[in-house]
Amino acid sequence: MSKSLGIFVTNPDQFKHVLGITKAATAKGSSVKVFFTWDATLNAKKETDFPELCKLADVSLCADSYKNMGYDVEDIPEGLEASKMGTQAQHGIIIEDFDCYLSL
Amino acid sequence: MEYNKVCLMYRNKDCTIDGIRSALGLAVENMYAYGCVLDEPEMEKFTELQAESLEMLRDMEGDVFATKASNCELNDLTPITIEEIGEKLRDMTHIIPYGIIKA
Amino acid sequence: MKILNVYRSEPDNTTKKLVEIVGRDREVDSFDLHVDSPDYDALVDKIFVADQTICWW
Repeated sequence: MSKSLGIFVTNPDQFKHVLGITKAATAKGSSVKVFFTWDATLNAKKETDFPELCKLADVSLCADSYKNMGYDVEDIPEGLEASKMGTQAQHGIIIEDFDCYLSL
Repeated sequence: MEYNKVCLMYRNKDCTIDGIRSALGLAVENMYAYGCVLDEPEMEKFTELQAESLEMLRDMEGDVFATKASNCELNDLTPITIEEIGEKLRDMTHIIPYGIIKA
Repeated sequence: MKILNVYRSEPDNTTKKLVEIVGRDREVDSFDLHVDSPDYDALVDKIFVADQTICWW
């Protein structure tokens, strides 16, 4: 059985790698969780492939960061469920519960 | 039980505050969490809330280090050298070069 | 202890110093993300066999 992978995204310029790595990992049967924080939350509104990422992985983002980037937390990005507008606890889950860890 | 030990490193003043908040979030989740402001960023003075966050992190056995003396003096951060933080990193379960590099 | 160093950009002197200290007396592998078309499949394989992955700036 493939290992699970958690990805913590802090850099807004890494989205193509987030998606590429997620595709490669899920193709191997891996379960992937991705958490976006600070200005990387801009990816949720600016990357056209963000909804595709949400279909492949368990995606959440830091609601506080999203608000700091100028967005209304009620304005849920396409592909994301409202419950995935989370806190830094999501990062904790990635560290505690996933076999492998990657920050981008 | 083995506890996770996490160190986040910052090289961009625009993301240092959020990076310290991330460290605090992990400390709340029962991890040993540390931050380190590396050489480039010239920090701004912490707000009262940010200074409280640092205090809370230290109360939970975490810390925030800085390699630049002026940052340590300005925000009461713990002085450290690159070599010393490197040695500390060897003991971490998770090492996180945070955000992007920008002076 | 097997460390995988992933580079998002060409490492500068600070990164090189930290990589050297963290990797001392350990098995170390690396992967460059700052190329035109990274082989994500190969990267995931490396992540799965590493004990710790560090993605440097």
